[in-house]
Amino acid sequence: MRSALRWLPGIALLVLLVAGLEWAVNAGMIRRALMPPPSAIGDALWDLLASGDFVEPLFATLRLVFAGFAIGSALGIAAGVAMGWWPAAYRLLEPLVELLRPIPKAALVPALMLFLGIGEAMKITSVALAVFFPVLINTLQGVRGVDRVILDGARTHGWGTAHVLRHLVLPAALPFILAGMRVALGLALVLAVLSEMLSGQGGLGFLILDMQRSFQVRLMYAWLVILAVVGLALNTLFLIAERRALHWQPANRP
Amino acid sequence: MSFLSLDAINKSFAGVPVMRDATLAVREGEFMAVLGPSGCGKSTLLQIAAGLLPPSAGTVRIAGRAITAPPPEAVYVFQQYTRSLLPWRSVRDNVAFATEHRLGKRRARAIAEETLAQVGLSGFGDHFPWQLSGGMQQRVAIARALAAEPAILLLDEPFSAVDALTRLDLHALFLDIWSRRKLTVMLVTHDVEEAIYLADRIALLTYRPSSISEIFEVGLPRPRDPITTRALPQFLELRQTLLQKLLARPDA
Ligand SMILES: Nc1ncnc2c1ncn2[C@@H]1O[C@H](COP(=O)(O)OP(=O)(O)OP(=O)(O)O)[C@@H](O)[C@H]1O
Ligand SMILES: [Mg+2]
Repeated sequence: MRSALRWLPGIALLVLLVAGLEWAVNAGMIRRALMPPPSAIGDALWDLLASGDFVEPLFATLRLVFAGFAIGSALGIAAGVAMGWWPAAYRLLEPLVELLRPIPKAALVPALMLFLGIGEAMKITSVALAVFFPVLINTLQGVRGVDRVILDGARTHGWGTAHVLRHLVLPAALPFILAGMRVALGLALVLAVLSEMLSGQGGLGFLILDMQRSFQVRLMYAWLVILAVVGLALNTLFLIAERRALHWQPANRP
Repeated sequence: MSFLSLDAINKSFAGVPVMRDATLAVREGEFMAVLGPSGCGKSTLLQIAAGLLPPSAGTVRIAGRAITAPPPEAVYVFQQYTRSLLPWRSVRDNVAFATEHRLGKRRARAIAEETLAQVGLSGFGDHFPWQLSGGMQQRVAIARALAAEPAILLLDEPFSAVDALTRLDLHALFLDIWSRRKLTVMLVTHDVEEAIYLADRIALLTYRPSSISEIFEVGLPRPRDPITTRALPQFLELRQTLLQKLLARPDA
């Protein structure tokens, strides 16, 4: 009850904004061709949901996000652990990483299209690339930050390297890894939508662009709302998973 | 004959010598205490003995072998006991840390429960380290070392964070385990009475660059008693001698 009340002002503001928009459009202050009233967008959204037409594009985009996120995270964690643990791996990969990392991954999509075409492989690769770097950088930082005392404890008890990496370094770096993955999840959605737009097929990104081009502005906004909800849902799910994984942290205890 | 031998150990940090020609031999089954003022290099010496820190010169032998890495016979208990525990693991799994890689999780947890009971922490297995007091965390660290059943224990001020009464309890526990398991112990401390009460011999470290200046035979009868042993003339005499030596240092 208390926490519900806490959110009340924020929700009230949201409702107020939507109502204001509705009023402004009806009063002719905003051109309907650019911004239909929210109630009309709501109708379009309802039709999409009721007909089930939203399922296929939604799942197409989600598939991209998940596949690219999983692949990019796995590779990012592996590379981050290797670079953080073995100085030789760090010296080998650091220049390459520093060169590639600053490139906005969106700018690589056209190049990827040359090699991989406009199908799933290109889109998943784009998403995975965007995910890879923030996960790698955070993992690296987490691995380097593992307390020397803990590591020496493992040494004096005779732990082997594999056991240390699996049961000590990974859990110790997990808060960092998860923080990197949370940032990467947002980027994954951006790259999924963008590669759909650029490839001109499949998923929410393509539909948003396509609706705009064919002047079905109401539908464009309806898809946009769905995309917003997807982003919110993904982030919330991730936060829940993160809190579970880090349940041992004092801050996460009731 | 000597189970652990440190032979002419030198150590410098970034060119600054901290230890010069420290030589010490600990016999099998012996309880050796190392006494010295703060910052003189006690932890450094013990970590070198544990194979955790390479000496700049000199050799460490355990059971006759020269060692360059942590040997299976020795377990080191950290002065920074809080930092040595894994915050994401329960107390039980922190103690299982000692054996899980050799015996598997299940067996290691069973041993952990037994050892926790020995240090008076049964019932706390499911807690996380941060839910325990400093003294209890220190006991978890001790339990972890005991669970490994090492031939030699290297203890770096393991009783510093517990209150006086708990310390007496832990002393009794330690002496008991030491005599039953025929352990060899090297204990670092700056508490003179603790050193006398527990040890067979006491090695005195000089200030930096440090080396072993003198070794004292304690010679008090065993089993020792927390009250009567401390009242023995021999005890008081040794205490006085050691305190004088420690206080005589110009920069101590
Ligand atoms: N990694 C390091 N780098 C540089 N200097 C170090 C390092 N470790 C220890 N020293 C120095 O070596 C000296 C001995 O340190 P050490 O921790 O062994 O002392 P100590 O006798 O255990 O002290 P205390 O009683 O306070 O625990 C100190 O002066 C310290 O500054
Ligand atoms: Mg010390």
